[in-house]
Amino acid sequence: MSGVFSLTMVAESLRISAPYVCAAMGGIWAEKSGVVQIGLEGVLLTSAFASVAAAAATQSAVIGLLTGVCAGALLSLGHALLVEKAKVHAMVSGIALNLLAYAGTRLALRGLYDSASNSPAIEGFRFGPVGASGGALLGRVFADPVTLVAILMAVATPWLLKKTRFGLRVRAAGENPDALSAVGASVTKIRSYALLLSGVACGLGGVHLAFDQHRFESGMSNGRGFIALAAVVVSGWRAGYAVLACLAFGALEALQIVLQDDLRKSRGGDLIQLLPYVATLLVLAVAAGKSNAPKALGK
Amino acid sequence: MGERGPVIECSDVTMRFARTLALDGASAVFSPGEIHAVVGENGAGKSTLLKLAAGSLAPTSGSVAVGGERLRPATPAEAARRRVLMVHQHFMLVGAFTALENLMLGNEPVQQGGVLNEARARREVTALAEKTGLTVPFDTVADALGVGDKQRLEILRVLYRGALAILLDEPTAVLTPLEADELYKVLRSLADEGRTVVIVTHRLDEVVRFADRVTVMRRGRTVLTRPLDRASNAASTEDLTRAIMGREPPPPFSPPDVESDAKMAIEIRALGFQDAAGVTRLRDITMSVRAGEIVGIAGVEGNGQRELVHAIAGLLPSCSGSIAVAGEPLPFDADEARAIAARRSVVRVVHEDRHTEGLLLDATVADNLVLGQLGTVSRDHEAEVVSRRVKSFGIVPADPSRLAGELSGGNQQKIVVARALDAFLSKGTQPGCAVVISQPTRGVDVGAAAAIHEAIGKAAAAGLGVLIVSADLAELRQLCHRLLVIRKGEIVAEFAPSASEETIGRAMLGAEAA
Repeated sequence: MSGVFSLTMVAESLRISAPYVCAAMGGIWAEKSGVVQIGLEGVLLTSAFASVAAAAATQSAVIGLLTGVCAGALLSLGHALLVEKAKVHAMVSGIALNLLAYAGTRLALRGLYDSASNSPAIEGFRFGPVGASGGALLGRVFADPVTLVAILMAVATPWLLKKTRFGLRVRAAGENPDALSAVGASVTKIRSYALLLSGVACGLGGVHLAFDQHRFESGMSNGRGFIALAAVVVSGWRAGYAVLACLAFGALEALQIVLQDDLRKSRGGDLIQLLPYVATLLVLAVAAGKSNAPKALGK
Repeated sequence: MGERGPVIECSDVTMRFARTLALDGASAVFSPGEIHAVVGENGAGKSTLLKLAAGSLAPTSGSVAVGGERLRPATPAEAARRRVLMVHQHFMLVGAFTALENLMLGNEPVQQGGVLNEARARREVTALAEKTGLTVPFDTVADALGVGDKQRLEILRVLYRGALAILLDEPTAVLTPLEADELYKVLRSLADEGRTVVIVTHRLDEVVRFADRVTVMRRGRTVLTRPLDRASNAASTEDLTRAIMGREPPPPFSPPDVESDAKMAIEIRALGFQDAAGVTRLRDITMSVRAGEIVGIAGVEGNGQRELVHAIAGLLPSCSGSIAVAGEPLPFDADEARAIAARRSVVRVVHEDRHTEGLLLDATVADNLVLGQLGTVSRDHEAEVVSRRVKSFGIVPADPSRLAGELSGGNQQKIVVARALDAFLSKGTQPGCAVVISQPTRGVDVGAAAAIHEAIGKAAAAGLGVLIVSADLAELRQLCHRLLVIRKGEIVAEFAPSASEETIGRAMLGAEAA
């Protein structure tokens, strides 16, 4: 049990939280603007694949990062256009997006790498100290460009929403689109930009997932998009709280990893694995009553 | 003094929606420096004309010119660029935003990089508020503001966006008389500064008191435009009514006499109610309505009127005290089928919002007219009931197969009132039964209002006890034998209808012996 209060624990928590935080920021941008986005999962998966494919093809992590983020942004923008322009129900579009991402990445995996499970390894970013000590792990977390951008995103999102003209209009689009168009702004345009940003944020999470593993694995988003969405709901659509929820979830998952080493030989390990999910359920059940969702969410 | 407002000229404009011709060659000129009122029945095209002037709609034919130049493209953004802005009938506010955020939206002062300059916005709107007298608590969220504040906020916003021409669609419909007077004071000062002020309203008394010029619309045409002479108020009102209806106005309504020995219709004793949050909504209400009597409940909206009506309708099972109609105590448990039947046999209720509480907008007029009786009458009998109700209440179009949502507000209101009144009138009323009608003519034009008032009079004459809740004091004073004032869930005063609006208004606001 010595590992619980250690630098390893801190480092692992941050590393694991990063994709959740990114996806949750994606959820905040989408839903604050009034567009329901259950397709975060699909965006994560697609960006993860796109980043690996580009990095593998060009041997450049930077190009991989940019490609992954762009793929997420485009997919998310597509969702916005389907919902806003073509009036497709956001749930339908979101489900389609998730299915498409799952099937599409599997197909591409087969086509490009002739594999059903994973891509070949990529280099990704390797900065920071080497070694397996907690300090080294933590050093690597803070030396990772993707993590740094994610932190920047988490700090910037609430500030942008609160303090800028764009943020004000995004919130207005989510609360009362009629009021926004009455003052001469285009709701479709604002929502499209918001979803573009949502895709960038969420796409960054996908890149982090893939670069962290140094390869793409089929279905590697593994429900993270949904958990992030749950974090958004639990936080009452407040970016800062959503980040905290994601950090808490990451910490629980890290705890599970740290404890698992101790408990490897007992049955307890399996139970510990359930911890993050049980915690999510509990928090959701408690928070479900007092929602302050954007008034025009999904309208 | 600032710039003068532009002249807005609508020439021979026609506006066709899918099935209806909303405007049919209407023309009007709105000039700076005056308050120009546009009046007419529901569906006469007033709001459409206003929306054309504001660029919210583009005319099917004809032209709209602002400052001598055609408004092209016909968009709100272009109109705003020419400093023409509209205050919509339904508030266009973001409920979760503070007043200040609402003011900034669409016209945000920003620093480099699109960062909001909130300090500058606050400085500017504070100055504007001081200059115009439109004070609003800037840091309160819009949802928490009263209607008067919301209305001021809307007007302040169009001014902040630089309006030189202000178009207002029924701004006083939701205001109390005192608030309406305040609003006109502001509009007067805006006109005096040289702005163009156009206002659509149903209230003719406001028009003759405050407007400089009036345009009357009927069936999509502008039938009369003339300056108003404040010296001859009464004559003007009658002339206008005639022009609006296109025929002689009906004689003014007066309530039928009540027999001195009439029995009690509604008797309410010590009625109290606390909502789920523990707030007292009704406190010790004791009142009665006799058979043949029309009693009005006056009050500022949200002072318990809604709860009182709901209690009588059986929708507040947890209220305390007792309510009896025609001598029979009403059971409060609304779920029990028998209780509902018992209630329905002695009292009918028309709720305040016909769209959400009275009609199925996507169902036919026929279905709506017999709603609540479905399954209790045969198909043939049902058709008979429907045609009788359509005819006796003059519902237009007289086609029961149309959808309720396609009818004008006035005719929709006739449906709900017909349903409540005809149920009693058709089978020879047992005296002592009662109807409760909330906002009988809200958003309804003169003609339809007259028809509804006449029906209410008939119901009282037939021996029904009638309880009216209305935000329109003039209506209550005209319609009722007695007026009760409700404030904070309590009946605080009783007046004869001859009491002045000021006196009643003071009691409504609770201005202690002011």
